[in-house]
Amino acid sequence: MEAAVLRYRVMAYVTGVVLVILCFVGIPLQVAGYPTVANDVGVVHGILYIIYLVFAWMLSRRLRLATKPTVIMLLAGTIPIMTFIVERWVTRRFINPALTGQAQPTAPVGR
Amino acid sequence: MTGAQPRPRWLFLVSPRWLAWHAFAVAAAWGMLWLGDWQFHRALAGNSLSWAYTFEWPLFAGFAVVFWAKTIRDEFRIRRGEMPDPRAAATEDLPAGVASAVQAAGSVQAADGADEDPELSAYNAYLARLNAEVKNHGRWHGLR
Repeated sequence: MEAAVLRYRVMAYVTGVVLVILCFVGIPLQVAGYPTVANDVGVVHGILYIIYLVFAWMLSRRLRLATKPTVIMLLAGTIPIMTFIVERWVTRRFINPALTGQAQPTAPVGR
Repeated sequence: MTGAQPRPRWLFLVSPRWLAWHAFAVAAAWGMLWLGDWQFHRALAGNSLSWAYTFEWPLFAGFAVVFWAKTIRDEFRIRRGEMPDPRAAATEDLPAGVASAVQAAGSVQAADGADEDPELSAYNAYLARLNAEVKNHGRWHGLR
């Protein structure tokens, strides 16, 4: 569980940072006539987003999230700044309760 | 109609809510494939950057289809009682001990991935049923 959370968090931040660079550095430069940054960072973000999708989805399966929070989590990787906000929301709303629930000694079935 | 016959379990799939979801899934997958095709033609026209997106969009389309299929599979499992309904968020309404037991059952099952162990899933189904049954009892019996 902790490993799944860590993988998701790392990818949320990496994808988020690259997307911010793409949108707030790459796109203005492209508009100004220097498309190289936007092109290269765009491709990098595309690849990172695929990895983010996989990890975010694996975590959402672990947490047994309903469809709506899962979709929010997955699409966050395409909207600038959104990954950071959603990561905090998911942590507070789902990850922390799941982790503390798991730590309870009253677990009826342990394997 | 003979009243004794139970409704088939898959009937929920044709409810308006689910039909809308199916339509959305088809539109999303089709749209992504269309975008992939568009990028493919751009790539053929000499835009070398488009090659990356030519392969990316079909991948996303496949992901959308898998996601849609999983939502259906989960719904069947919830209806069979093999899995607690994540939308219920029932643990918040329960006394502390029961809440942690239900939550722990859920996370143990989740940690194992697929429900390979029939005994464990049967027990978890039992817990989920108990949870549903006693959901509002505390209020009436003065437990909280």
